[in-house]
Amino acid sequence: MVPLSLLKTGDKVVVRSICGTGHLAKTLGQLGIIIGIELTIIQKAKESVIIRIGESRYALGPGAASMVLVEPQI
Amino acid sequence: MGKTTLFNSLCGVHQHTGNYPGVTVDIKEGNRQINDHSLIVSDLPGTYSLSAFTPDEQVARDALLTSNPDAVVQIIDATNIERNLFLTTQMMEIGIPMIIALNMSDLADEQGITIDAECLEKNLKIPVVRIVARTGEGIDTLVENIIRVTGQKTRATHKEIEYPHSVTNYIGEIGNYLSSHASLLGKLSPHYAAIRLMEGDEHLEKMLHDQGLVIPFIDKSDPAERDGIAEDILLARYRTAEEITTCAVKCTMGQVLPADLIDQVLTHRFYGIPIFLACMWFAFQVTFSASNPFLVGIEYIFGYFTELMNEVEMDPFIQSFLSDGVIGGVGSVFVFVPSIFVMFLLLSILEDTGYLARAAFVMDRLMHSIGLHGRSFIPFLIGFGCNVPAIMATRTLQSKADRIITIITIPFMSCAARLPVYVLFAGVFFGAAAGNVIFFLYVLGIFVAIVTALIFRRLVFKDEPSPFIMELPPYRKPSGFAAATHMWHKGREYLKRAGIVIFGGVLLVWALATLPAGVEYGSVDSLAGIIGQALHPVFAPLEFNWQLVVGLIFGFIAKEVVVGSLGTLYGGEEMLESSLAADPTLSPIIALAFMVFVLLYLPCVAALGVIRQEMGNWKWTGIAIGWGIFMAYIFAYLVLHIGSLFIGV
Repeated sequence: MVPLSLLKTGDKVVVRSICGTGHLAKTLGQLGIIIGIELTIIQKAKESVIIRIGESRYALGPGAASMVLVEPQI
Repeated sequence: MGKTTLFNSLCGVHQHTGNYPGVTVDIKEGNRQINDHSLIVSDLPGTYSLSAFTPDEQVARDALLTSNPDAVVQIIDATNIERNLFLTTQMMEIGIPMIIALNMSDLADEQGITIDAECLEKNLKIPVVRIVARTGEGIDTLVENIIRVTGQKTRATHKEIEYPHSVTNYIGEIGNYLSSHASLLGKLSPHYAAIRLMEGDEHLEKMLHDQGLVIPFIDKSDPAERDGIAEDILLARYRTAEEITTCAVKCTMGQVLPADLIDQVLTHRFYGIPIFLACMWFAFQVTFSASNPFLVGIEYIFGYFTELMNEVEMDPFIQSFLSDGVIGGVGSVFVFVPSIFVMFLLLSILEDTGYLARAAFVMDRLMHSIGLHGRSFIPFLIGFGCNVPAIMATRTLQSKADRIITIITIPFMSCAARLPVYVLFAGVFFGAAAGNVIFFLYVLGIFVAIVTALIFRRLVFKDEPSPFIMELPPYRKPSGFAAATHMWHKGREYLKRAGIVIFGGVLLVWALATLPAGVEYGSVDSLAGIIGQALHPVFAPLEFNWQLVVGLIFGFIAKEVVVGSLGTLYGGEEMLESSLAADPTLSPIIALAFMVFVLLYLPCVAALGVIRQEMGNWKWTGIAIGWGIFMAYIFAYLVLHIGSLFIGV
């Protein structure tokens, strides 16, 4: 498992864990970033990422991206 | 997506929009008469969930939970159903009859997405209507459905979400407990209130707690257990949304999406910022060159009216009131209308295409390094047009600290109203270098904003800006009609808000410059002169003469009034330029210090009202005002004294 902030553009990953609780974790949950979901990284700028889940795209800053622990898919 | 467009076509010509004062975000209301049914339609702020972390989402939630509507129409983007169904799963439990308007089904067809609306309807037990809000397709069917659904007198029964056993037990238990205290719940059903409590609705929990209701489970259990249950509920909702989507939506397209490629270019870590700057440069160029012809036309028309007025024989007092007061006043308002309209048009086009959200992502890193949130950047951008909507746009920020810092810094973005002051003074005192001087003022504003943000973040709030999370809307071809409508609404709002204030302000200046009766217009003996003289010593270190001081006082009404009031004080707007140039108490460097002061000192009355409204208290409003005056004084002083070294007095 690695944080989302350490992957590269084009990677397909599965979310395995969300660190922490509170508003931020809840916000991620409301956006559909939940355990078991598959997502694609479509942009990586320093530690910020843009991800795609199905047809939805989300931009996550460094703080949010490092909270999402994922497992790369082959 | 398409909410306001649908609202407009629903309410058509009968639409009257009213802003609810006191609440943070506008809920627009309109009505439509169909046969003997009269519908009252409310346009709520857009949201993807009822969890409400930001003020605009809170308004949407409160409207749904407390205003007891007869029906709710959820607009679902047909190209992205699963995402929208999450909100459906939250809303259908409230018990309000729902209708789903499947918007942009034409676009979904283009993208190869086939939607089985009947299957959707059957599974959700909610009527589904296909519409294209842009063209008005399907609106009639939607209205029929609304009338049918609102006629039902029983509580709506939609699909029930299947929660795990443990969760269902808890909900049942808490629901039973709440049934005996139903009066405390307002419009909520005990069952739904129980679900919201389990989901972690702190707002509701606090409300019940304040009324002395202690819920056994919630008080005793440990936070981890509650988080677990909240997560189970979340997952159950997603599972429901996913199941329904899988059954109703067939996607025939491949995996490579062009939008991914566009995103990769526009948000690139190296090209992202240059692309953004190029867009902004282009937008500013268009704003100024496109509005120029209108500007010249408006000036011509008002000049013509003034002349006409002066030729007619009448009482000189009334003549002065009409030509200096009314026409001069209205004219000074109208001159800015074209650039503000063009600005709003461009912003709404940029927003429509989906680019603005990408720009916020690109700017996040930069904003973060000065202690601001990436989202603050959009209010800043709007601030160059007008600070009032910019301050309102801070509602999309989650953390209070982020919001306060952004609101304090927005007034340093040089709004369109300040431009006439620069144009006048830079033109008179700097000649060919006027353009550079004006550019310097914009940059200085941004510099002061950065300093302010750093100081408040480091010394006052001492925490990091809240992490950046933002949904990026799909790219769309901007519709000229939608952008024009948007521009019209925003522009009209500005005109209404600012127009009355500015117009009133100019009349006030006129009155102060004329009274007491018999004095020479705008002379030292007039009320304006007396006020200017009294405050003059305060500005002595800045070497402003009393006319400038009066201008500043009236500039509080609206910054463009500075020009108008100097016009009246110097005896007519036509001669203002030559009078200023000939005034021995002025010099280029004093003019520059004055422009710096005008840039920074005070937001106008309209902006101040919005700051008070968004801050929610006078303490932070006061700090925002005090800080502005402090910055203005310091920087004007620095400019005066450092500048003198270069230019010589």
